[in-house]
Amino acid sequence: MPRAVAELLHREQAAPGHYLLQLRCPEIAADAKPGQFVHLRLSEGLEPLLRRPFSIMRTEPREERIWLLVQVVGSGTGLIATHDEGTVYDLLGPLGRGWRLPRANETALLVAGGVGVAPLIFLADALSVSDLGVYVRSLFGAATNEALVCWTEFAGRCNEFTTATEDGSAGEQGLVTEVLARELERGDADRVYACGPPGMLVEVARLCAEYDVPCQVSMEQWMACGVGACLGCAVPSAKGPQEYVRVCTEGPVFDTTEIAWDRMRP
Amino acid sequence: MSAMEPDLSVELAGLKLANPVMSASGTFGYGTEYAPYLDCSRLGAIVTKAVTLEARAGNPPPRVRETPAGMLNSIGLQNPGVEAFIAEKLPPLREFGVPIIVNISGQRIEDFVRLAERLSQADGVSALEVNISCPNVEHEGMFFGTDPELTARLVAAIAETSAAPVIVKLSPNVTDIVEMSVAAQQAGADALSLINTLLGMSIDVEARRPHLGNVTGGLSGPAIRPVAVRMVYEVAQEVDLPLIGMGGIMTARDALEFILVGATAVGVGTANFVEPASTVRVIDGLAEYCRRHGVPRVADLVGALEGT
Repeated sequence: MPRAVAELLHREQAAPGHYLLQLRCPEIAADAKPGQFVHLRLSEGLEPLLRRPFSIMRTEPREERIWLLVQVVGSGTGLIATHDEGTVYDLLGPLGRGWRLPRANETALLVAGGVGVAPLIFLADALSVSDLGVYVRSLFGAATNEALVCWTEFAGRCNEFTTATEDGSAGEQGLVTEVLARELERGDADRVYACGPPGMLVEVARLCAEYDVPCQVSMEQWMACGVGACLGCAVPSAKGPQEYVRVCTEGPVFDTTEIAWDRMRP
Repeated sequence: MSAMEPDLSVELAGLKLANPVMSASGTFGYGTEYAPYLDCSRLGAIVTKAVTLEARAGNPPPRVRETPAGMLNSIGLQNPGVEAFIAEKLPPLREFGVPIIVNISGQRIEDFVRLAERLSQADGVSALEVNISCPNVEHEGMFFGTDPELTARLVAAIAETSAAPVIVKLSPNVTDIVEMSVAAQQAGADALSLINTLLGMSIDVEARRPHLGNVTGGLSGPAIRPVAVRMVYEVAQEVDLPLIGMGGIMTARDALEFILVGATAVGVGTANFVEPASTVRVIDGLAEYCRRHGVPRVADLVGALEGT
């Protein structure tokens, strides 16, 4: 059954407004694949009422542990700051369709924006221990150096690593998509994997289409059930002018060709 | 089952239900989505997501948003259409071995009549729930449910056609829900479901725009429960039809509020999103309440409110 209880072993502030959670959860540590998510109940009361979806950042199956990276965006995620070690969460998962791995000996370009780094750390981790011989080059962008959350965990699992900040406080000054455009122009990336804010993903999809490089993105949407029943987490599908796909079930990882980017709410 | 086990069965519009707990339309998909999380064969009945004649794409996202003790949704009746429903969704639903109540919606009376013809004779459909109360689609759904004459004409046309019992789901977005329920009863409804969601709205003040892509949505969850209980109470005074009460039921205690004011059965909706096994927990909680209060049959509690 895709549900479990998880005990909070350790919580630390990974950056202002961001928490790194280490949870004991043998079932999900054993079963989760990179790109999948858990749907976590933050309170037994009515505030917040709905579960919240979080990408899995990393698993340690032998230690029976999983790691989540949470950005505080509202009252729900804000509760995390009050949860002590030993807190037990009820969670559904692992849910959704994760990253499709590269073929052997390819070069994968991973593009992360802010807290969107979480599912890409899981992917980089899986690739670093696989025997696929994939060369992993990663680009990590954020507004400031402080928002390059968990960058050491990311960098340590990649062959090459570049950062960009909008204020120039770390790495190149500018948007990570500007670095991506240059990398694609170089022409040696076989596929792109991206997760970040909606505006970034729109630009990543546009660039990868322009350079004809296959690209997968991990998407976010307000979600109620998490199991495919409520149809609440719909995003526009490229299948037709009025079609939609569910982030919880067909996603959260999509090929960029599956999404109707021109119908995404700006 | 020991002699002390309370009898949870209820009878509703000619249907014999093992217990009074159903899924509420739109919150349980077509059943199979929840099968990994609970034993669906334990439900009193499964009420499906709305089915229309043709496939519907649904509304632009974002479609859901949490609000205090509740949520807004504007799904927009996304569904594969009646033929795909019968071919693909109904066979696995039948496997659960519980009564299947199909929620239907349409734009014109003729749409509902054709749906009733097709579905009421389909293998495995126990009853129809007529959605005259969806707030998320223009000029249909709620359009019928806010006018007693239109309600009566629609219900009469469906009742004449349908081979299965007709349950009418009422909108709370009216001045007088009793007027609508009386109209539905006189037109030949076999039972009433109440309430559908309350029309609501929520604003992102930073962006100065609505949270929902469709601007407004239907409010559900514990926030609406007192309104729903009051409406079931009022309707129960005035109509003789069996009522299915719903609106923010999270626990057996919540379900009992509806039963005590006159609901024969209850629908569990938003709670499924919070806890997938909410329905079976409510069933177990009802049995526990009956044992604790020495009530032999849960049906004895229907309308057993005192002190009014």
